[in-house]
Amino acid sequence: MINEQIYRRFNHTVAACFVIYFLFPEYILGIKREYYILLFWSLIITVEYLRLNKNLKIIGMRDYESNRVAGFVWFATGTCMILGLYELGYLSQRLAIATIIMAAYTDPLIGEANQRLGNKWGIGLGLLCSFLIYQLILGVLFYSFIGSIVAVASERPKIKWFDDDLAMQIIPVIILTLLSLMDFSPDLPQNILGDKL
Amino acid sequence: MKITEIYIYLMYIVVICCTIAFILKEHYIIASLLFLGNTVPGYAMAKSLMEKNENQL
Repeated sequence: MINEQIYRRFNHTVAACFVIYFLFPEYILGIKREYYILLFWSLIITVEYLRLNKNLKIIGMRDYESNRVAGFVWFATGTCMILGLYELGYLSQRLAIATIIMAAYTDPLIGEANQRLGNKWGIGLGLLCSFLIYQLILGVLFYSFIGSIVAVASERPKIKWFDDDLAMQIIPVIILTLLSLMDFSPDLPQNILGDKL
Repeated sequence: MKITEIYIYLMYIVVICCTIAFILKEHYIIASLLFLGNTVPGYAMAKSLMEKNENQL
């Protein structure tokens, strides 16, 4: 048998590759690229519907996910929301990229550290990982510092209908975007990649 | 189970292709993050796959 925990962690980190979306051309096969976000999300929802109602077997699911929405759906929903908000012009591209990568790596790291080293290490390593990713991509200490605290705080509550996979993406982008609108805040860097490649 | 294995190999290909795409566009930080972030779980996954295959022999 494949080690399901490792499989789950690997699935989670591979989700960082969603940022490839920003390299896509504006039109793919004559259809605007934002419609592919909807298409992808619909596909995920269909798979989840089949898993919950038609007994579709998917490896790597946790026991408690047998009768509730699975983590991959929450993560994909968060990523699709970020990409959608970016396309609508509400989010900075750098923030979107940083948050997707941060959520893909920090959540499994916290989970692994909690299990092996204890909760304090989980929080510490989570803060370090999210701070480094924000700092490498955004390059503004103010946003990296606040973003990392918000991300790790978003991971803590265990709520059945608002999973941390979604919370770790949506809460930091909303808070950092709102902060960037305040007079006292430094400028939030906008584009890292060419807008329409 | 075969489908799961194919899916895992596909994930490796996705990571490699995305990393190369970002390198080609000269976005080395994102490329490095994609590669390094997947190295540890990717290695553990490969090890788990190899152990599974050894057990089957």
